[in-house]
Amino acid sequence: MSHTTSTVPRPTRIAKARLGYLFIAPGAVLVVTFFIFPLGNALYLSFLDFDGISANPPFVGLDNYVRLLADQLAIDAIGRNFLWVIVGTITPLVLGLIMALALWTLGRGSVLYRILFFLPHLLPVVAVGVVWGWIYNPIRGWLNEALRLVGLESLQRGWLGEPDTALWAVLATAIWATYGFVLIILLSALGNVDEELLEAARLDGTNAVQRVWHIVLPQIVPVFILVTTLTLVGGFAVFDIVFVMTGGGPANASNLLGTYAYANAFQLGNLSYGTTLALVILVLSVPFVIALNLIQRRLSLRNIR
Amino acid sequence: MTLDTRSPRTTRVPLRAVPRHVTLALLAALSTFPIVLILSTALKTPEDVRTNPFGLFSSFSWDNIVQAWTAGKFSEYFFNSVLLTGPTTILVLVISTMGGYAFARLPFRGRGLIFYVSTLGLLVPFFAYMIPLYFQLKTMSLLNTYPGVVLVLTSIALPFGLFFMRAFFLELPNEIEDSARIDGCSEFQIFLRVMLPLGAPGLGTLAIFTALQTWNNFLVPLLFLPGGSLRPLTTGIYLFAGGRSAEIGPLAAGTLITIIPIIVLFIALQRQVVAGFLAGAVKG
Repeated sequence: MSHTTSTVPRPTRIAKARLGYLFIAPGAVLVVTFFIFPLGNALYLSFLDFDGISANPPFVGLDNYVRLLADQLAIDAIGRNFLWVIVGTITPLVLGLIMALALWTLGRGSVLYRILFFLPHLLPVVAVGVVWGWIYNPIRGWLNEALRLVGLESLQRGWLGEPDTALWAVLATAIWATYGFVLIILLSALGNVDEELLEAARLDGTNAVQRVWHIVLPQIVPVFILVTTLTLVGGFAVFDIVFVMTGGGPANASNLLGTYAYANAFQLGNLSYGTTLALVILVLSVPFVIALNLIQRRLSLRNIR
Repeated sequence: MTLDTRSPRTTRVPLRAVPRHVTLALLAALSTFPIVLILSTALKTPEDVRTNPFGLFSSFSWDNIVQAWTAGKFSEYFFNSVLLTGPTTILVLVISTMGGYAFARLPFRGRGLIFYVSTLGLLVPFFAYMIPLYFQLKTMSLLNTYPGVVLVLTSIALPFGLFFMRAFFLELPNEIEDSARIDGCSEFQIFLRVMLPLGAPGLGTLAIFTALQTWNNFLVPLLFLPGGSLRPLTTGIYLFAGGRSAEIGPLAAGTLITIIPIIVLFIALQRQVVAGFLAGAVKG
């Protein structure tokens, strides 16, 4: 781009810049007004003690952050966030990869499967929450019913209503709604794998596992890391599904930073503290995103070479 | 067996694929089971819902659908969802096309910075700034208003739209632009007559993607339309489910009404829908 712009005559360059400012203006105004400004305000709010009513909330410096460190509920929520990010990233990735490989080797006829596996990812979280609530229903839900059918009545429980299982039940639902996304992206990456290389390896007498490990996987690693980043970001940002299914309960057992922040802000009126909690999630996710970005950059450079 | 008459290579492949097909079909059934459950429960007779709410397809009636559509106000919610999704999608398309074009082909000072700031929106979760945004909307008298919610929904979809359209316009060759300029087109005419028609496929993908995200958005109407007017399907379901006399039949029907447009859209335009998700991921 840069060398072409230098050859462009000056009047064209000015005309382009003028139109550029004009074209970017509406988007820039909206992004600044409804994203950057409130985000900056969130940071400011985290240094105040704002209850939502007072016109002149006192400046309290880092008090909200100090309070967070001493708040066992917040610490527990952060722990659950990490559990969620780890399990909720690894499981869809493994499931998605295995199924993408299965669909890829199937070749034609995988379109129907692709539709069926991807569909859950497109549904609104509220709909997902409602129907999984029925599946987890303690009395007539399908999960308990299925356990009864295979003779595992002892495992039956009120999945969303018990502290031991609530978080896991919501997490399983989230995995159901995520892995189709991983699958579809990996499947498209597999479409670009060098077929000739594969055929050559086949003629050399390698088995399927060797071929996947040594030839297929190295070629899709950059995309794999990309999906990992996206799933990870999604994992840190989790809110809706927990909010809809358990609201963080029972007894905070499935509270994550997001739902805990919401409860603090909108139910307890601790708006500053709620905002602080919400910002912490953002801060926690940044190092992971940067690390994955660096790894990916290094890998794609190696691939080009 | 007729299989013996064929060459060993052609018979081996389908035979070996059988267990894989069975496994995949089983997984596909498991994966779509919740959607089947919504359909089944929505289409039961009300009596059947009371005694056996989750038994699959044990009876048939339109009663729940009618009930949800009329008394359950889902017709109103549906209309509101359309009212929020339509204009938001159009706004996102227009603003993203202009902005994405500028990011890709109209260099000016500060362009890089503006681009990075707007892509930040792809990383920051909405709830990180929803609390201050609530008070900001209140100050701007936009809380509980139609323009307010549409503007917020638009702003949420914009980072992806700008990012996506920029990538799209970057791929178009410079020669087309240059020859149009030689023909005497102004910069605006180049955009409108030459580049925009070439961007049409990208616009289609973005439209579907944005409409889906907006249709499914839950938090924005929940927080910023507290008055209950303009309530879309997502918050409608949430309130219905949380009500004291939450009836499973109409609730299932309301959920079905919400997801049917998505399913129809996806099956009809499968390629474009997937392309939207791929573009979001792979072009990063």
